[in-house]
Amino acid sequence: MMYGYEWDTTTWLTYTISILPIILIGLTVTLKAAAAGFAVALVLGLVFALLRRSRLKVISWTTAVVVEFLRDTPLLVQLFFLYYVLPNFGIVLPAFLTGAIALGLQYAAYTSEVYRGGIEAVHRGQWEAATALNLTRMQTYRDIIIPQAVPRIVPAMGNYMVAMIKETPVLSVITVLEMMGLANMIGERTFEYLVPLTLVGLIFLLLTLICSAGLHRLQKALPKAGIPMR
Amino acid sequence: MDWGSYLPMILKGAGVTMTITLASIVVGTLLAFFFGILRVEGGRVLSTIALCYTELFRGTSLLVQLFWFYYALPLVGLSFEPITTGILVLAAHAGGYGAEIVRGALSSVSTQQLEAARALNFNRFQTLFRISLPQAIVEMMPAFGNLAIETLKLSSLVSLISIADLTFTAQSIRNLTLDSASIYSVTLICYFAMSLVLMIAIRIIEHFVRRGDVFPRSAHS
Amino acid sequence: MQFSKIIGLSALALAATVTSAAALTVEEVKQQGFIRAATANEVPYSYMQPDGTSAGIGPDVANQVLKTMGIEEVNWTVTPFGTLIPGLKAKRYDFVAAEQNISPERCKQVAFTEPNSSYGEGLLVKKGNPKKLTTYADIAKDPSLKVAVVSGANNVDFLRAVGVKDDQIVFIQANADAIPTVQSRVDAYAATELTVSELAKDQAQVEQVSPFTDPVVNDQPVRNYGGFAFRPEDKELRDAFNAALIEFRKTDDYKAILGKYGLSEQSIAAAAEKNVADLCAGK
Repeated sequence: MMYGYEWDTTTWLTYTISILPIILIGLTVTLKAAAAGFAVALVLGLVFALLRRSRLKVISWTTAVVVEFLRDTPLLVQLFFLYYVLPNFGIVLPAFLTGAIALGLQYAAYTSEVYRGGIEAVHRGQWEAATALNLTRMQTYRDIIIPQAVPRIVPAMGNYMVAMIKETPVLSVITVLEMMGLANMIGERTFEYLVPLTLVGLIFLLLTLICSAGLHRLQKALPKAGIPMR
Repeated sequence: MDWGSYLPMILKGAGVTMTITLASIVVGTLLAFFFGILRVEGGRVLSTIALCYTELFRGTSLLVQLFWFYYALPLVGLSFEPITTGILVLAAHAGGYGAEIVRGALSSVSTQQLEAARALNFNRFQTLFRISLPQAIVEMMPAFGNLAIETLKLSSLVSLISIADLTFTAQSIRNLTLDSASIYSVTLICYFAMSLVLMIAIRIIEHFVRRGDVFPRSAHS
Repeated sequence: MQFSKIIGLSALALAATVTSAAALTVEEVKQQGFIRAATANEVPYSYMQPDGTSAGIGPDVANQVLKTMGIEEVNWTVTPFGTLIPGLKAKRYDFVAAEQNISPERCKQVAFTEPNSSYGEGLLVKKGNPKKLTTYADIAKDPSLKVAVVSGANNVDFLRAVGVKDDQIVFIQANADAIPTVQSRVDAYAATELTVSELAKDQAQVEQVSPFTDPVVNDQPVRNYGGFAFRPEDKELRDAFNAALIEFRKTDDYKAILGKYGLSEQSIAAAAEKNVADLCAGK
């Protein structure tokens, strides 16, 4: 039993119904982890994107290498690294936070590219007009460029968020009790894996379909010209 | 940490990772073309089947798919060797994303080309294989390149179904030496190196595909 | 047309790798020349050494017993503890040599041999035992304490039986993860006495709790009996192995192996005191 819910393996139906509460608790952890990870990815990705556009070659080049490294190494190994190596340096983060940061780092590499593409897609003329109006770099980014970049980047960002939700199961290896980790544990105790894993698979499928539909709606609702930041 | 005795193990693990990645890429590409073409050219039924395949393997988590095929499926009698399971699931997953890429690229072939083909009395197959695909392949290459790198990274997950790839080997060594920092750093660097090699290989293939491209690229790019 | 050919050939190739559905017999094993076994890398019960050879109480005894049956070669798979039995049922290997405790739940899924070893429980804590733990019940007394267990191991049942709450329990995947986990994330790691003593050997940051009292469940101090697990349908194979094991237990070689790994005289004798039928029935 888990979280106070006993499972009943007599038939497939009773099994499914009895483990549903447990899996749903896991679902909340999954969603929280994805939300936290995505928040990190959004912020860090923007930081990376802006650093890449820096005039100083040292900064832009180093950022490029870091981003490429994060992009080309597996999330699983990055996760192990953060979970087991950081404590050696005195930084002991709870498993959930470690997972969120690892997810955020991986996806920051992707979101930084999306930001870059979005920023670069904004017409050159906008930059020139901003210079003509004597706006500082900060003001230009904040009031002109980024608001126009947002509608363009929403689809790609949305896709990455959905992808991130589907990568959360990897967090189970560092003791985070998300949906799939719980399904595995139920399977280990009852030796019946088919029902829990299928249930989790279907829930992920449902999540993906719902999020994709939601994204579609969002895309339609966004003004093409851009979102004012203030 | 005694690198001398562990380096051969690490290289062996890297070899397994590379093998699994390449096998998955090859099979995945075949699946991608099969289902992608089915989506575009197939009738109602076939197209829906292809849609179900792509939605299923893109819409569920790879790790769930791996565990499902490794632990759940044998209970209904169908059991493959771990490495076969790993390659099949990775390939099916890559194929799901690849099919979308193929579909998108095929759909983006200029209608002028298709009309010209019809005017020249090309049948469906000829249009597909002689006109659409050659142009579409050039469009697909960058996305397939990304997919290849993704497959390499996702291959690390097969370590969780006891396949002795690089990540599994790293874990084993770490369990023996309890030295996390050096082994995980080395593993990350190994994957990075393999990714770079893969990227170079893809660039070469891309170059080859472009040179073999008989048709001048249309103005949409 | 080409596609269907490719699919047909691939299907054939796959079929060749799908494992057979019939029960495994001793004759078949002798014919193929090897048997497949599983271990979860838990020193000293069952683990693989860096050079690829097996070691530990389970594998060493199993290798000797198999030799007397005429089977020389054993192919080992390392798999997380919680997946030992599922993997056995999925025919990924033919028996489990991890000295798993013979419990009624496990007996419903697999066919155990007579017990091979007997062992008590233990706790791994930070050096100096700052929380002054002496038994599992101490963890239940303070709800802020956290204890780690390997996923799939039945130490979690003993913890729950003495009152430890679910939110105090952290599940780790492998025994070796215990040391870094105890160092920085939990207050203790619950496992068998030998596992803990092996982990604590030569470690500066963690130590085995000593003296330690076994948890009391159903008015009895807990005692584990480790055995080899076979698939229920491979009855002939399991019976043959079991008979050979019972014979081997009478020899001095058996006592030498168990003694080498740290089991005391009483522990070695205790293994022979219970039989598998009673253990499966929960007695």
